Amino acid sequence: MALLDKLESSKCVETVWGKLIPEKEAYQYAVRQIAAFCANLFQVMRILEPDFEKRTSAICEISYMMNMSASSDLYMQEFFNEWNIPEFCKRDAWLGGIFGDSGDEYENMAGRVIQFTHDRVEKELDTCPWDIVGAELCNMTTAMFTANFDLNSPNGENEVALNMCEARGCGDCHCRVVAERRDVYNLPKQGWLDHMNQPADPVHDTPPERRVKAGQILRNGCYSQAFGEEKSFTWAYRWCMEKGWVWCVAFPLIAIRDMAESDEEFERIFKIVFATAGKNAFIEPFAVEGMRSWLGVPHDIGSNDPRLMGGYIKAVLDTQLVPCFLERFTKEEVVIRVDTETFNGRFPMAPVDELTTGYEVLWHNMVKTMVSAEWSCWFTGKDDEYMDIHIGRKVDKRMV
Amino acid sequence: MLFKNDQAARAQHQAVRENAGWYRWTHDLVEVTGGDAERFLDRLFVGAITKIPAGRSKYTTMLNEEGRIIDDTIVMHMDQDRYWVSTLYAPQFLRWAERHRSGYDISCADITAQVDMYAVQGPKSLAVMDAMLDRPADGLKRFAMMDAVLDSAAVKIHRSGFTGELGYEVYCRIEDTKAVEASIRRACDAAGAPELTILEVYVRSLPVEKGFALRQDMYGLTPYECGLDWSVNLEKDFIGRDALVNAREEGPRYQLVGLEYLAESYEDIAQREIVYRYGVPCGFVRAAIYGYTVEKNIGFAVIEADKAVLGEQVTVGENASPAVITEKNWL
Repeated sequence: MALLDKLESSKCVETVWGKLIPEKEAYQYAVRQIAAFCANLFQVMRILEPDFEKRTSAICEISYMMNMSASSDLYMQEFFNEWNIPEFCKRDAWLGGIFGDSGDEYENMAGRVIQFTHDRVEKELDTCPWDIVGAELCNMTTAMFTANFDLNSPNGENEVALNMCEARGCGDCHCRVVAERRDVYNLPKQGWLDHMNQPADPVHDTPPERRVKAGQILRNGCYSQAFGEEKSFTWAYRWCMEKGWVWCVAFPLIAIRDMAESDEEFERIFKIVFATAGKNAFIEPFAVEGMRSWLGVPHDIGSNDPRLMGGYIKAVLDTQLVPCFLERFTKEEVVIRVDTETFNGRFPMAPVDELTTGYEVLWHNMVKTMVSAEWSCWFTGKDDEYMDIHIGRKVDKRMV
Repeated sequence: MLFKNDQAARAQHQAVRENAGWYRWTHDLVEVTGGDAERFLDRLFVGAITKIPAGRSKYTTMLNEEGRIIDDTIVMHMDQDRYWVSTLYAPQFLRWAERHRSGYDISCADITAQVDMYAVQGPKSLAVMDAMLDRPADGLKRFAMMDAVLDSAAVKIHRSGFTGELGYEVYCRIEDTKAVEASIRRACDAAGAPELTILEVYVRSLPVEKGFALRQDMYGLTPYECGLDWSVNLEKDFIGRDALVNAREEGPRYQLVGLEYLAESYEDIAQREIVYRYGVPCGFVRAAIYGYTVEKNIGFAVIEADKAVLGEQVTVGENASPAVITEKNWL
């Protein structure tokens, strides 16, 4: 594409060094970042609650409750109107299926609604950025789907059996969710851990040559579904950066905090897990080389320069659509100023202070391997309107 | 998505082509009333609303000021100063009407929740109707309505549909819907006409074979770009008319065409999948479905006008699915 022709028609993130990251690449990166944060959080959960069933049930229950309370009647009615879902759909049973499909595609879970009938809906995914998190999250999504269906039921309880019979987070090639009407298929009501069974009817397995690697918004620049409404890539990107944190971080956090005996215990383990993740992120020397290439770091920025870490953090925040700007950017120190409420509350209904704690610990330990152990990362002004992210030299005889 | 080997979908599809089938589907319905209802609707739509006698209906499109389609509807002239607009987008229609109602003595109301609709479609649908109504529907012309009684419920019969077959729509008060549905089910069961339960059979597979598009397929195009030249009445004024005249003089930018997919299935084709000609984007998909009568994966696409050459092979999507540009009508 000629530079003069399209100079202002494509958006991108510009790194500190002028390298342009196209909007679509930035989106993919940011989505995976959310998934990685979620994966760390779930490690915390596994330490706090060793029993798979107990911890999975707990996050299922809280996610269900939060999804129910976050979705008001007005919110759902607006959704119904906007998507032009006809009456015949029996909105009590099937609106949840449509709702779920749009959310998948906004979050780059690429796939298709295989079947959509009165009695059965089958959704198949070829990709999922969250496939690194683990089976608890796969189970938890079925609880959220249950809420989507219940929200539209006149008696508060849906009429379908909902099974994620395949899940990439469990090692399957696809994620596959099937909803089948219980009265038609003679199926029992399910508990939180009963949603990973096989459906009554056989599934349709898309052949490898017809599978896709990216969601509609990346492939086609917009999401479109059977009822004809479209959402642009830009709209979906923003939606994902707000809501993507809510379901996979904010909701399970409520249950995970309760698994700890005290707030202090939770924070101790939380910090240890995120510190480990940070230390390991750049342990391989070629990881640093890859990052330098990605950000366009010039050769005159040496290997022991805090601007490496500063440029990286700036790119992370920019791709996550968090407004920020550089206050200092020298070989002695970097300061990035960020709006505190935006940083913690990407989704205003559910601010997450743990984002601050998690990223501070993550980046403090990351800089040790990305740059060197001489450097630290810390935040100041956490309770102020603006928070500063510092990268500088610090000596602490009890540094961990 | 529908697949060749889906026997349930095939059975429902073929029932409508060869016998009859029925389904419940309430389009959104907007009632427009008042002394200026006719004049107001004539201003909104490209078709001549003034020429619709009471008891008849008309398919027509609604344009924005740029002459591009923003809705396609059936306008039903119920009686003096009272019209129903059958649209899939009542909230949007109401907003548009509100924007343009100044100077007109009209009121608009979304009556979707008050009126239910059942469709009986297929070559033998007339026999079903005659078997269950208090009076025969034999003489009812296409896009005409009549009053009737169905199991003691007053209903309005509209000869119309979206399958390309002989068909009727039964409108009733929402209070009567259970009784009406039971009567239709009984009559259809007796005729071996199944209830259609698979959305894509009656919204996509059946209509696409006959070249019937949804608003979403045509949104943002001019009627000329969709092959709807016949529906435009330039003898009257309507919103978007001047822009449409200019567009006609300049020639089409795009064409809504048919696509036949040559691969066995189309799981990788979404509704906005990009179409490539020799590897260069030239348009995008609007529909993809399996047609059980034509036994092909078919659909619609919007293609740059100069690239919309019938018989030209293109590819679709990231897997380079091969397809051929065709007329958008297979039967």
